[in-house]
Amino acid sequence: MSDIKDVNPAEDGARGLSRRQFMGGIGALGALGVIGGAVAQVFLLPDEVIAYPVSGGFLLVDQKKCSGCSTCMAACAIAHHGAANHSLSRIQITQNPFKAFPYDIDPVQCWQCDECVQACPTGAMHVDPETGVRTVDQLRCIGCLRCVAACPRAVSAVQWSEEGHASQKCDLCLDTPYMDDEGGIDGRRACESVCPMRAIKFTTDLPEQTEDGYSPNLRTENWASFGYVADIEG
Amino acid sequence: MGNGYAGKILRVDLTAGTVSEIETEQYREWGGGHGMGSAIFWDLCADKTISGFDPANVITIMSSPLAGTLAPSASRLEIQGIGVQSTPEWFTRSNMGGRFATMMKFAGWDGIVLEGAASKPTWIEIENDRVVLRDAETDGLWGLDTYDTQERIWNLQVANSDGWREIGTKSGERAALQSAVITIGPSGEKKSRVGALIHDAGNAAAQGGFGGVWGAKNLKAISVIGSKDIDVADAAALLNARFSAREDLGVNVDEPKDGFGWARFSGNPSPAVMYPMPTDVGSRPQACQSCISSCRARFSDGLGNESSCEETYFYFFADMMYNQGQTTPTVRYSAEMVQRLGINVYEIDHGLNWLYHLYQEGIAGVGKQVDIDLPWDTYGSREFIETYQRMVADREGAGDILAEGMWRAAEHWGRLEEDTASGVLHYSYWGLPEHGYDPRAEAYWGWGSILGDRDINEHDFNNLFWKPSIAKWYGIPSWMEAEEFVTKFAERMLPFDPDPMMLDFSEDGMYSEGQVKLTAWHRHYTRFWKESALYCDYRFADFYSPKTEDRGGFTPEGEPLFWNAVTGDGMSFTDGMELGRRIWNLDNAIWTIQGRHRDMVKYSEYLYEVPYGGHLYGPYWMPTFEDGTWDYRLVTGRVIDRERMEDVKTMFYELEGWDVSTGWPTRETLEGVDLGHVADTLEAAGKLGGE
Ligand code: SF4
Ligand code: SF4
Repeated sequence: MSDIKDVNPAEDGARGLSRRQFMGGIGALGALGVIGGAVAQVFLLPDEVIAYPVSGGFLLVDQKKCSGCSTCMAACAIAHHGAANHSLSRIQITQNPFKAFPYDIDPVQCWQCDECVQACPTGAMHVDPETGVRTVDQLRCIGCLRCVAACPRAVSAVQWSEEGHASQKCDLCLDTPYMDDEGGIDGRRACESVCPMRAIKFTTDLPEQTEDGYSPNLRTENWASFGYVADIEG
Repeated sequence: MGNGYAGKILRVDLTAGTVSEIETEQYREWGGGHGMGSAIFWDLCADKTISGFDPANVITIMSSPLAGTLAPSASRLEIQGIGVQSTPEWFTRSNMGGRFATMMKFAGWDGIVLEGAASKPTWIEIENDRVVLRDAETDGLWGLDTYDTQERIWNLQVANSDGWREIGTKSGERAALQSAVITIGPSGEKKSRVGALIHDAGNAAAQGGFGGVWGAKNLKAISVIGSKDIDVADAAALLNARFSAREDLGVNVDEPKDGFGWARFSGNPSPAVMYPMPTDVGSRPQACQSCISSCRARFSDGLGNESSCEETYFYFFADMMYNQGQTTPTVRYSAEMVQRLGINVYEIDHGLNWLYHLYQEGIAGVGKQVDIDLPWDTYGSREFIETYQRMVADREGAGDILAEGMWRAAEHWGRLEEDTASGVLHYSYWGLPEHGYDPRAEAYWGWGSILGDRDINEHDFNNLFWKPSIAKWYGIPSWMEAEEFVTKFAERMLPFDPDPMMLDFSEDGMYSEGQVKLTAWHRHYTRFWKESALYCDYRFADFYSPKTEDRGGFTPEGEPLFWNAVTGDGMSFTDGMELGRRIWNLDNAIWTIQGRHRDMVKYSEYLYEVPYGGHLYGPYWMPTFEDGTWDYRLVTGRVIDRERMEDVKTMFYELEGWDVSTGWPTRETLEGVDLGHVADTLEAAGKLGGE
């Protein structure tokens, strides 16, 4: 048996994501607010950086509040495919039960950056003109998986769907044939609605970004009453 | 096969090193989990009178159609076979949560059946349809603790740079998560009767000693990962059911006082640890797949991740004693060690109390009657608990005797009679440790255990003790008066008449027809809804709720609501109860073949002789009906009356339609639940009950 000892969270926490990787897609400029309201698909800026309109909505996941129950994953697959299948979930909650909190869970949801859009050679992965949501036109997908490789998350938030013979990603539930309610920006997001910890929240505001992406705190004062100390790491 | 089922059950012949498939359809009538497990065991275990260590013992590991779907708190696993912990070795069950059932389903398997014994240490790797029996020694797994085994397996399974792993031969067979692994630790490898099966950090199936059974089969671990669909009958209905379950019945974690400490479905996501939660390390809730709440924690020092309940408690008082009234991380350390070594915590907990008592009496120690070398002067320290646990896991010195379980150890040292008469060895039924819900107070718990095969460990009715008792201990008003409380329970106990007298815990009530009905209801309910549909014991049954207007719970609507959305069966709650009764009958037939007889159904001596002193946390209050009124009253100070216990047995057998003189099932009853072929087998064995 290896020694039972305290784990060094710092050693365990590296996620291998550079600031450039995360910020790159959304334009490396302070003009996001301007772009946010636009409906055009692509801007060619003077320095030849391609920028896409910012998404009209974002999914926030509180990594410290998440219990790792994966209910969101089951809901995502069921709403889109009518079947449970974690491999078809557009949100991936990865976890290692032996690691130290908060690095034991890494919720991987789409950040709505545009690395995948940039990587796509056919335009199948595109910015939805209505909502700004990064979306796949599965008919145009040739299965090259460049979008999957381009995603900056430790686990790609874009997946290959054998069923659809195309890549797929979070569409904020725009296209959910198996959910009675409308999805999308003005509708219901399946994962958000089932999360028992209320650790998923949809927002139309551009989230505050750090090197680790979005790390929202969705805990209320009530949280501590359950016995958890979630802010010990700041 | 669709609608919740993966469609196949994996059959592994460890002796031959081959695998084959069983169509799930063949066992569909049993629903899933325990029902399927019992039916498969009945069919495949030719001689049911063998020892659990015999290679011919058949072990079933079954999920339910609900696993991996949105059914709340139902992604569990039921494990069955001939156990090696009890005396005698009954056909028995254990159960765990976590991720295994879900992954197994995604890989395309509703269950796994283990037969035979491998000639060398083996582990099984399942990736969708690909099943490989691998060498556990060559792969460096044999000898590792349960955590290191799992991490080593994950290291052998490397992902692509995009974080996804190819897990099949077809394109698109990919998964981003790591495999789910069940493994044994050193204790199981040493064929210990107290060996547990462990999955992730804190999921254990320990009752029955299946860890030791795997050890005897030379099976170290099963790893599974999958990427297949689990179809559901009505996806939209399932989503809607889960949306409203969270809004209308689940706790809103963001709302102060919305939660309810002792409620079940609507209970707070508080860790079920028995020590004060540490405030100097960070923590989060941790849940099994699709759980509506959460009952475990992970910590920023990683110590004791996911451990809950008994393992967090068994060294708590010793640690406090040793540290001048303070709790220290040693409690979490000892919990983690139980998981890593893969030991049944109830055994080593009760065993430790017993041995400590004998040490204080001068009976245990080096060269004493109970010849054991433990550093008693450091009792309460890390060093002590490490020495004790390692001794049991490695069978070192007296550990070789303790690994046989405390009942057999007491027998070995000539202490059994005296220590079970005094109750110093707190083992109540079938040579197994008592659970804290004492048969002298919470009668149905004892009746269910002694009329079955093991400590039932099903908490459906425990709040009838906890809620009033906590109110009394702290001098706060009860949330519900006794009469309303029992009425809420009784109203939901379909298909029985809603008679609150089933919940009368007065001394007369213990031996009443009502308590017998409660015992039977509980056996039928758990056999199907909790052990076959596999709803978690922690969230179901849900008899009352702070979230509904009439304060009634999710039972009996909740269980079939999700079952039907997933399977499309149109099953009623009562249908499930009937199926539970059918499964219970099949189990009794198996025990009958194993040698069960009414005359054996006896508690340990202390339960008849020593008045009950109360729960460890305080006096035991329960609802009783006395002098024409319902109230919460003390139920301590009682012993079991031998003659009245005989009346209970008679009433129970009559209610079940079993032979009153033997306790064996009758043909009429078996045929009534479509088990005529089982009656034939019993008849051929000369063990069919008379009408
Ligand atoms: S449903 Fe919520 S708590 Fe559960 S894994 Fe998803 S984000 Fe975490
Ligand atoms: S918002 Fe919808 S599509 Fe996106 S991860 Fe959640 S359930 Fe899936």
